[in-house]
Amino acid sequence: MLLDVQDLHIAYRDIEAVHGVSFSVEEGELVSIIGANGAGKSSILNSLMGLVPARSGTIRFRGEDISRIPSHVRARIGIRIVPERARVFPRLTVRENLRIGLYGIHEPAKEKERLAWLYELFPILEERSSQYAVTLSGGEQQQLAIARALVSDPKLLLVDEVSMGLMPKLVDQVFEVLQHLNRERGLTILLVEQNALASLEISRRCYVLETGRIQFEGASEVMRDDPRIREAYLGL
Amino acid sequence: MQLFLEQMLNGLAIGAIYALITLGLALVYGILRILHVAHAAIYTVGAYVGLAIFSSTHSLALSVTGSMLFCAILGVLIERFVYYPLLKFPPYVPLIGSIACLLAIEELCRMVAGPYILSFPAELPFPSFTIGGIVISSTLSAVYGISAGVLLLLWIITTKTELGLAMRATSQDMAIASSMGINSHWIISVTFMIGSAVAAIAGILVGIYYNQVYPTMGAVPAYKTLALIVVGGLGSVPGAVLASILLGIAETLLIGYAGIPLPRDALAFIAMIAVLLWRPQGLLGGRR
Repeated sequence: MLLDVQDLHIAYRDIEAVHGVSFSVEEGELVSIIGANGAGKSSILNSLMGLVPARSGTIRFRGEDISRIPSHVRARIGIRIVPERARVFPRLTVRENLRIGLYGIHEPAKEKERLAWLYELFPILEERSSQYAVTLSGGEQQQLAIARALVSDPKLLLVDEVSMGLMPKLVDQVFEVLQHLNRERGLTILLVEQNALASLEISRRCYVLETGRIQFEGASEVMRDDPRIREAYLGL
Repeated sequence: MQLFLEQMLNGLAIGAIYALITLGLALVYGILRILHVAHAAIYTVGAYVGLAIFSSTHSLALSVTGSMLFCAILGVLIERFVYYPLLKFPPYVPLIGSIACLLAIEELCRMVAGPYILSFPAELPFPSFTIGGIVISSTLSAVYGISAGVLLLLWIITTKTELGLAMRATSQDMAIASSMGINSHWIISVTFMIGSAVAAIAGILVGIYYNQVYPTMGAVPAYKTLALIVVGGLGSVPGAVLASILLGIAETLLIGYAGIPLPRDALAFIAMIAVLLWRPQGLLGGRR
């Protein structure tokens, strides 16, 4: 088991947003968590990354409890996040944003190879490599955020609402890239999405989150045909 | 003409010293969004520690390095024990903490060293020279050389090194920087160390330049540097440096030429009011 979360509670001051969720991700899987706005999806991802403290519960990564270790240590052991709304560093260039992804890693040969691969995956980033990230379009910033998370060769990629604010055509493109990374490269991905249809299409398993609790879980294929899910989340 | 040029050179030196003090404030504001008023106290401590080491060893090199080290540690202590625990409160809370630190450290200096003006009888090992009939004293050339060296070094650190990249990333989005493997609390501490060590240099330079070290020497810089970071553009280090140098020159010219009885220290605040009225983002600040 790569990631195993047990009875996770997350609270902001006195208000509990996530009431004890348990889920797991196997190595090489693409798992999605879907749910409405405010269900607590982003809180869960941020808590896995260490950006929001967990009130209680355990987070095991490769068997080790990481729920008390700081964010930058989690990054170093191979967890990386594509944050909601990309959050690229606006006044750093595209290349500097990618170098931040490599912070603390000193393997020049591997770095070069990773950069070449990412520029192949997202050619627009190479074209814009010396521009400030703030000058990129929304879709380009999202690609940069993905590349910045990938450049360190993570073991687990957390993807937070990557479709938000993107044109439908770009959403398809980004999801295709994620699917490709998972299938061809064996990258383990945990995806959090409001766009239920698209995420059910590319993920193998899925959890449905409602107001801080997991209501359904199962294979994405089965979920797609479940009448309750179809009605509530797919609008079919 | 000659008088004008001499005034300009003096103004430039004063501006360069302002820049060395303001720099730390701009760095700290950039990363924590805190008005680090206590920075002026670190500058005062820098002058005292520098003087103490100089008096006992007669070595300016030891005095400068010792004082830089002492101030770097003092800066980090203030960051760890005053600002960091207060960060979760609205910005005026750490500001009050900062003012308390300034007053407490000033009083401490008074208690330890006494309320007198001490002299700092050091000779700066820099050459004096004459260009076109204008004499540049060794003190002036020391101020120019040292400030240019410090500014150049800082520019190299922030733009060319991995540390500088991490500092810039942390100041733009601390949470995301942490999630990229950057120990942002360490980066904050390093920022305080750098700013405080530079303040120590400024304290010693001022002590020697005016041959005066006294407990409240940080009082005027404390509020003047606040005005300067606003004029430069909050959080913009190049803006703070530019505003400092312009102010140093403007103050000197004002004293030299204007017949109006305007106190020189008012100039920084007139500039601040003008900037807030017509260019709220400051000289080099980005729009927010």
